[in-house]
Amino acid sequence: MSELNQNTDFLYPFIEGSEHDADSLLVDLAASARGKAEVSARLQQASLDEWRDQLHAAGAEMADRFARGGRLYTFGNGGSSTDAATLASLFCRPARGRAVPAWSLAADQAVMTALGNDVGFELIFSRQVIAHSRPVDIAIGLSTSGNSEDLIRAFTEAKKRGLLTIGFAGHDGGAMATSPDLDYCFTIRSQSIHRIQESQALVGFELWSIVQELTRRRVADTLAGSPDTLSGSNAGGTS
Amino acid sequence: MTSTGERVELIGEDLGDDLASASLALARRFHAGATLWVVSPQWEPHAHHVAVEFVHPVVMGKRALPSVALVEADPVAQARVATRPGDVILAVASADDPQVREVMRRAPAWGADTIWIGFGPRPQAGSADHVLWVPSDDPMVPATGRFVLLYHLLWELTHVCFEHPGLLTEKAEDCADEDCADEVCVTCSDEGRLGEVVLPPESAFTSALVRTATGEEAVDVTLVGEVAANDLLLVHAGTAITRLDDLPGASR
Repeated sequence: MSELNQNTDFLYPFIEGSEHDADSLLVDLAASARGKAEVSARLQQASLDEWRDQLHAAGAEMADRFARGGRLYTFGNGGSSTDAATLASLFCRPARGRAVPAWSLAADQAVMTALGNDVGFELIFSRQVIAHSRPVDIAIGLSTSGNSEDLIRAFTEAKKRGLLTIGFAGHDGGAMATSPDLDYCFTIRSQSIHRIQESQALVGFELWSIVQELTRRRVADTLAGSPDTLSGSNAGGTS
Repeated sequence: MTSTGERVELIGEDLGDDLASASLALARRFHAGATLWVVSPQWEPHAHHVAVEFVHPVVMGKRALPSVALVEADPVAQARVATRPGDVILAVASADDPQVREVMRRAPAWGADTIWIGFGPRPQAGSADHVLWVPSDDPMVPATGRFVLLYHLLWELTHVCFEHPGLLTEKAEDCADEDCADEVCVTCSDEGRLGEVVLPPESAFTSALVRTATGEEAVDVTLVGEVAANDLLLVHAGTAITRLDDLPGASR
């Protein structure tokens, strides 16, 4: 086979040429992957650093609400809807730690298509907030632009009903960054939708970690004999 | 909680190389008309994220590519009926996921290439055509964005490959490979191919209908005895020579 190739290569210069190009392309691709990963890691660290204090403040409010029986609703569009679902799973089915009630508002195709078809796409999340929520609950919306109309409408509805409202945005934060309907808005300062989503995932994980730690401490305090720190039912309470 | 100053290298040298070759292979398959099927029984949202990434690119001007998340209760059955020769199956799953292991084991009989993204202990060598593995045992890895980074990069690099149309045809390279002619029987020029039983023989005198990478064909199963639908066979020159489900550790 190789002998045949050697004898006929001159007839097909394209074959030999493309082979070398594939090798150099692979080298370029690997370098590109590692370069982008480095950018992503730096953005993740910068985001955690920028939002550290606010993440702790938001986490404390969330832990308090979960302790009082609150539930978490997450939402987003496209890839962000899947990241919202991953975040909801992290809260309700964590690989370790306490589970708390949480679900993604994009998970049910019947509800999504019913609302989208009957009342309009911009209302797919806000209508569910109306249907499901109580004032003790929490709404977390993820958008890379910060301008998604369906999220903005959901935050407005959630805020009106007393929910804790938390946004994850990108670029300059868009409308979410300045909206009075958001209690917290964690903006990832990048122009790349991919890098924004990768940082939103880690910042969301950090928020979960903080809630877990505060919940653990709250329960530990209670078990050590200060029952008034635990007032709800969902964190293993006594009431 | 994540500590400050701790620099994690998200993509090491090996993983970067694996991503590069997986991307070129995937681009070539798409170029030839493949659909990308995605399974993630443990982390369904990741399957949806991969599919939406390819179908509706976030970067303006990049072409939409066929990709579908298979998230029904039985992804093996779903992938079996969905997959056509030349397609690609991507799994986001740990190495011990029983359903994904079945999908990966059967994919060669369906004619599909496989990409396996995960973390923790690696799958056995050869379990998938491309293994993109996060070198960490932390059970929280699936929720930290590291898988998201991996399939984002897979998408980005795949589209880079489309800018090199001269490299999107596999044949030129495969036949330049010196091992090209290996593993073929010198007598009948056929090789041992993985097949999955579609229909068992109706009687001892008829053949079974078996699916292999090249399509469905009649196969004499006399040597391996009774077979049932979905049994995996090694097919050589129109005859089943081994039943893979008989091998230790295998499950149907």
